[in-house]
Amino acid sequence: MDPLETKKTYQDYVDKKSPNSPILKNCFNAFWVGGLICTIGQIILNICKERGFDTSTSGTIVSIILIGLSAFLTGLNLFNKIGKFAGAGSLIPITGFANSIVSPAMEYKSEGYVMGVGGKMFTVAGPVLVFGISASILVGIIYLIFNTQSVTLV
Amino acid sequence: MQKLGEQTIKFDNPPTILDCASIVGPKEAQGPLAKYFDQTLDDEFWGEKTWEKAESKIIKETVSTVISKSGISIDNIDCVFAGDLLNQCISSSFGLRELSIPFFGVFGACSTFVESLSLGAICTESFAKHVLCATSSHFCSAEKQFRFPLELGNQRPPTSQWTVTGSRCSCFS
Repeated sequence: MDPLETKKTYQDYVDKKSPNSPILKNCFNAFWVGGLICTIGQIILNICKERGFDTSTSGTIVSIILIGLSAFLTGLNLFNKIGKFAGAGSLIPITGFANSIVSPAMEYKSEGYVMGVGGKMFTVAGPVLVFGISASILVGIIYLIFNTQSVTLV
Repeated sequence: MQKLGEQTIKFDNPPTILDCASIVGPKEAQGPLAKYFDQTLDDEFWGEKTWEKAESKIIKETVSTVISKSGISIDNIDCVFAGDLLNQCISSSFGLRELSIPFFGVFGACSTFVESLSLGAICTESFAKHVLCATSSHFCSAEKQFRFPLELGNQRPPTSQWTVTGSRCSCFS
C-alpha cells in the first residue's frame, strides 16, 4: 500500500522517518538539574531557619530568591541555555514560571511598555494562571460543600 | 489573459523575471546554498535595535539591491507586492515606504512569495511595466509571533522547523 494514502499511514510514515527526541538523556538531565535546583532551595531554607525565621517565612524567602535568580539569568540570556539542556528540570520548579513571565516581557519590549511589556507579559504563563486559579476555586467550593455537610451531620 | 479550465490563467505576454536578489542571515549562510545569496549577514540584528527593525532593513536592502542590479530606475517600477510574517506586515511596509512605489501588502505565510509573483504577473498583463515582488522573514521575530519567546527555556524537538532569516526580491516585466 502507498505509504502516503491515508492520514494515519502518512503519520506512521512521518514517525518512522523523523528522529526521536533523546528521551533517556533528557530525563536524566532533567532529573539532576531539577534535583540541584531543589537542593539549592533546601539549603537556603535551612540557612533561613538557622537564622531564626519560621518555616513559612523561610519558604517565602526561598521562593523570592529562586524567582529573582531565574529572572536574572533569563535577562543574561543564560536561562534558555539551561532550559534547553535540562528541559522539565528547570521548567517545573518556580524558576520556570519566573522565566515564562520574564522572557515575553523582554521580547515584547519592542512593542512598547504598556501594550508590549504590560500586555504580552503573561502570554506564556497566562493559561497556567487562569486554569490554576480556576481549579483552586473549584476545589475550594467542593471542600466547602463537603466540609459543611460533615459539620451538620456530626 | 484568459482563463483555462477551473483554476488556470494563460498570459498573452508571459511575464519575465529580469533580476532577483536575496539577503540571508547567519544560519542560512552556513548552508549549502550560501554561494547563491547576494549577501549574508554575520548577526541577526544587522546594527538595529530590534529584530523587527533588522527584518525591515533586510527587505529594504534586498529591494535596493535588485533595483541597482536590474538598472531600472525607481520611477519605472509601477508597483511592489511584498509581505512577511508579522502583524500588519510591518517589516515590508516600514522597509519599503521610503521607496515611494505603490505597495501592496500580501500575507500568505509560506506562500507569500508565490502569491506576490502571481498577483504581480497579472498586473504586468494590464497596466504595469515593471513590478517588484518581495518577501522577508526573520527567525527571531517569527518565533515570537508564532511560537515562544527565544528566552523561554524550552526544548525544541529535533524535527522542529526553523524560520528563514532573510529576504528575496524579484523584478519582472
